[in-house]
Amino acid sequence: MTLLVSAAIMPLVKILEDQLRFRRLKEILVTGSLTLSLALLVMLYRQIPKGGYLEAFLSGFGLPFGVQFYIDRFSIYMSIIFCGIGLLVAIFSYRYMEVDTGLDKYYGLLLTLIAGMVGVAFAGDLFNLYVFWELMCISSYSLVSFRKYRWEAVEAGFKYLVMSTIGSLIALYGISLIYGCFKTVNMHEIAAKLVLIQYKLDFSLTLYLYLAAGLIICGFAVTAALAPFHTWLPDAHPAAPASISAMLSGVVIKTGIYALARILFTVFSTIPSGVAIGVTVHSIPIVDYGFVMIILGVLTITIANIMVLKQRDLKRFLAFSSIVNMGYIASGLGIAAYLLYHYPSQSYGLALIAASGAVLHILNHAVGKALLFLSSGCIVHEAKTRDLVKLEGIGRKMPLTGISSSIGLLHLAGVPPLAGFWSKLMIIWGGLGYFQDLFLLIFTAIIIANSIYAAGYYLWLMQRIMFGKLGSAAEKAHEAPSSMVAPVVILASLCIVLTFLIPWIMSIAKVSVLALIGGG
Amino acid sequence: MDGVAQVQTVYMATVVLLIAVGLYCIISKRELLRIILGIEIMASAINLNFLVMGLGRSGIDALAQSMAVMSMAIGACLAAVALALIVNVFRHYGTTDVRKLRRLRW
Repeated sequence: MTLLVSAAIMPLVKILEDQLRFRRLKEILVTGSLTLSLALLVMLYRQIPKGGYLEAFLSGFGLPFGVQFYIDRFSIYMSIIFCGIGLLVAIFSYRYMEVDTGLDKYYGLLLTLIAGMVGVAFAGDLFNLYVFWELMCISSYSLVSFRKYRWEAVEAGFKYLVMSTIGSLIALYGISLIYGCFKTVNMHEIAAKLVLIQYKLDFSLTLYLYLAAGLIICGFAVTAALAPFHTWLPDAHPAAPASISAMLSGVVIKTGIYALARILFTVFSTIPSGVAIGVTVHSIPIVDYGFVMIILGVLTITIANIMVLKQRDLKRFLAFSSIVNMGYIASGLGIAAYLLYHYPSQSYGLALIAASGAVLHILNHAVGKALLFLSSGCIVHEAKTRDLVKLEGIGRKMPLTGISSSIGLLHLAGVPPLAGFWSKLMIIWGGLGYFQDLFLLIFTAIIIANSIYAAGYYLWLMQRIMFGKLGSAAEKAHEAPSSMVAPVVILASLCIVLTFLIPWIMSIAKVSVLALIGGG
Repeated sequence: MDGVAQVQTVYMATVVLLIAVGLYCIISKRELLRIILGIEIMASAINLNFLVMGLGRSGIDALAQSMAVMSMAIGACLAAVALALIVNVFRHYGTTDVRKLRRLRW
């Protein structure tokens, strides 16, 4: 398996650091293994049968004991995002992390972080998901506090550790409750058992299901940075090295939303029986989790939007805007689930649109936010400060970085025709499908208002970076080293390329969502 | 309720109580080490929950036992990282009083 390739390379990095005196071997190893993983993932995508999935059992145990890897198109889609952003971050770290010691541990931890995320994407049963989830989380705690000679990293890292551990443990409690109900942790086995008993649910089982769903939502929402569990994020993102901030904000918090989506749509949904022949069979939620997800998502967007303009620190600004975008993704998935629960037979197309918008927004935000954090890394590397007042107008002194971050800001602001517009449009389109449903209408109106407000402050930031009067730190700055700027430029061109490839990307997102919802 | 369900109910109440104790330790203790102990109490409670859920007429289900052992291993890694962070916090702040870790604000 590809992710085992990633994980297995990691100890070699540590050994080779001492043995060989060849200077850049670690970076070459990391980049090589990430490229290999990416190639293998693309090959794996071609092997998945149409509308189906691959599965593999570790050590040949089989159900219900075996560790199952369940790979469908949604998993591959997320894994390609994780490995792609990871590869660009590794290239960026080539020059950015030069001043730090202990780089073997850094690259080893980066590889285990990516391996953990790919493992979460491929997990076929709940406990397997939890194991890889913890692998990812522990690597990220260590990476956030990597620069341990600064007080900020250590304090933020500790706060992140405590909050995220509580979240993971609460999610594990929910997982153990589900295990107790069904005596298996395999997600599809649980779904199959729910199909058999769906019309005979008694009170205690319903209570367990609701309780477990609530615990799992709260648990994974901590890492997915949904309000009110988001408070670790604005401290952890500025304190981490910029490449790790890009990883955290670009992909790690997406893993939270992915785990939430996978568990909710697979375990807590069922395929209705007695459907006529020829009708597309899709899954319907048993627990009304769409309601909760919409409320959480909209609360996240509103709270984070209010907090953004108070920030004077560039990376803290970007961290709050990450929280806003996670709210969009959660709202999109919530709208899809709400529609599937309340209007089961007539809202399938609309729910698909909303969920595809959310999934496409995962890609858009990963690309855009990684771009912004890496370019802020370039800026901080040159100007040695993160203060927005001092950094005004630095886009004119660092032209490549400035133009790339402007493209990224426009992309995230949802300015047409750049790609960020389309994903937000799809989410809002799904929400506005039913005018007689007052709940959806009000919350979609709040989402629209927040999108306009967010576009406002992204443009404000772009104006300050590019067109402001030169701040005190910006006067002495010059362009960052080329291997640091290269990933930034690659991501910016990816934003523009995504604009042209929108129909293709939309169909990929739709196919992924079909794998998530339709397959059950 | 038969015997197994009665035992399960008692133990599940214990698990809830232990989680509450763990959360209380994390929220209201003043020293970093006691916060980590609170995390470990919560982890132990959830391991107990796994075992309790696997209770059957002929002992505990093997899957539950293997999950509990795996979860214990992960808890140990977590404790290691957390303790390393506490050492570093002490080097910076000179104290393990969590009320002194207030430099990061709005």
